[in-house]
Amino acid sequence: MFKKVWLIPCLLALASVFGLLAALLGTGIWHVLSWIALTLPLAVIVWKVKQQG
Amino acid sequence: MRNSTIKKWFWVHRWTSLICTIFILILCLTGLPLIFGEEIDNYLDPDPPQEVLPANTPMTNVDNLIKESLVKNPGLIPTFAYFDDDEPQITVHMATSWKQFYTPHSDSTRWMKYDSRTGKLIRESEALGKKKIDFITLMLDIHRGLFMGLGGELFLGLMGLLFVVAILSGFALYGPFMKKLPFGIVRAKRSPRLKWLDLHNLLGIATGIWLIVVGFTGFFNELSTPLFGIFQMTDVQKMLAPYKGLPPVANTELSSQQKAYDTVAAALPNMQITSLVFPGSPYGSSQHYLIWAKGNTPLTSRLFNPTLVDARNGKLTSVVKMPWYLRSLEVSRPLHFGDYGGTPLKILWSLFDIAAIIVLCSGVYLWFKRKKTYESYFNNTEEQQSAETQPAATV
Repeated sequence: MFKKVWLIPCLLALASVFGLLAALLGTGIWHVLSWIALTLPLAVIVWKVKQQG
Repeated sequence: MRNSTIKKWFWVHRWTSLICTIFILILCLTGLPLIFGEEIDNYLDPDPPQEVLPANTPMTNVDNLIKESLVKNPGLIPTFAYFDDDEPQITVHMATSWKQFYTPHSDSTRWMKYDSRTGKLIRESEALGKKKIDFITLMLDIHRGLFMGLGGELFLGLMGLLFVVAILSGFALYGPFMKKLPFGIVRAKRSPRLKWLDLHNLLGIATGIWLIVVGFTGFFNELSTPLFGIFQMTDVQKMLAPYKGLPPVANTELSSQQKAYDTVAAALPNMQITSLVFPGSPYGSSQHYLIWAKGNTPLTSRLFNPTLVDARNGKLTSVVKMPWYLRSLEVSRPLHFGDYGGTPLKILWSLFDIAAIIVLCSGVYLWFKRKKTYESYFNNTEEQQSAETQPAATV
């Protein structure tokens, strides 16, 4: 039950933390990885809204 | 989670949100243009294009720029010189007095911007009394303290803290609410209330970390003034103890600023000097130039180190060690501004900001429709709990 509810939120949280820190601590490729990671939560929103809207 | 616990979280979520929402909404709206503040400023009011010179052209003598600025602005005192790290330019800032300099919205400051290689004047600010407030400054003034100085800053800081509690209580409610629902469901066809409730939950949980980070760093940034005040009253006072009682340095006694710059540059070889503050600042020393320098790695370029140089004899007094709370404040700044990962990060920042606006507005909408929401919420969880334990159904 816990896993079903929290799996995706936890993954998005991890992606966000990674994305926020990657650009702060690195340059070059880390910036690109940061952009990708931070796009994930927004992409999931768009995907879910489109799916059921 | 027990029903009585859920109700407590619900109470926390409702009241922390209700109190802070209108202010956080103002912050989201004014923050949106601020993400692109530099770009907007440059677009609305561009500097003339830079002269193209070889990359290794040496810096001009800053003493001459300061002299020229003061000759052209009789009656003003120099406050600080800013050495731009993006463009080859140096800006000399002046004010009618230090007191006026730190008085918000007192039209008492002027600046002159020079090419740091040729020493040619590029631009100067409006004359005293003619200052126009530009769009980005206006947004920043609202965003920082609603035009109310320190009181406004602390108030918005408190609102930021309430916002963080609201998000955390939102997380607590998300779990029991979503027990029977698949992730990201948007029940658009049943009722507008249900649709907005689902959107509130989806957007809130997906952007949760960003909301917490930007909310908390915003709260922390609003503490800047008191934190620098503490630093000034403790560490800085201790460092300046041997100079206590000495008369302030007269303008005629000032040693060469270029020499002070060179002294610090030699003492901190891996750092880049960003500004030189003249003696007399309430946040500096009456006897010293305060020279700020930053590191050159992604993280250390966010960490500014102040160095004190005796303003009379130009000797290095000390490289100041910043306390942990100011270090944390410096690291928290980029995490609030979103200015540390190029334009794509800024675009992402603005999209998250828009998501936050939707979460806030849908929250207010759900509050207006609260009775139904409240009931449906407990219908939802009570159904589930009746299968597990005896629900404590005292509403």
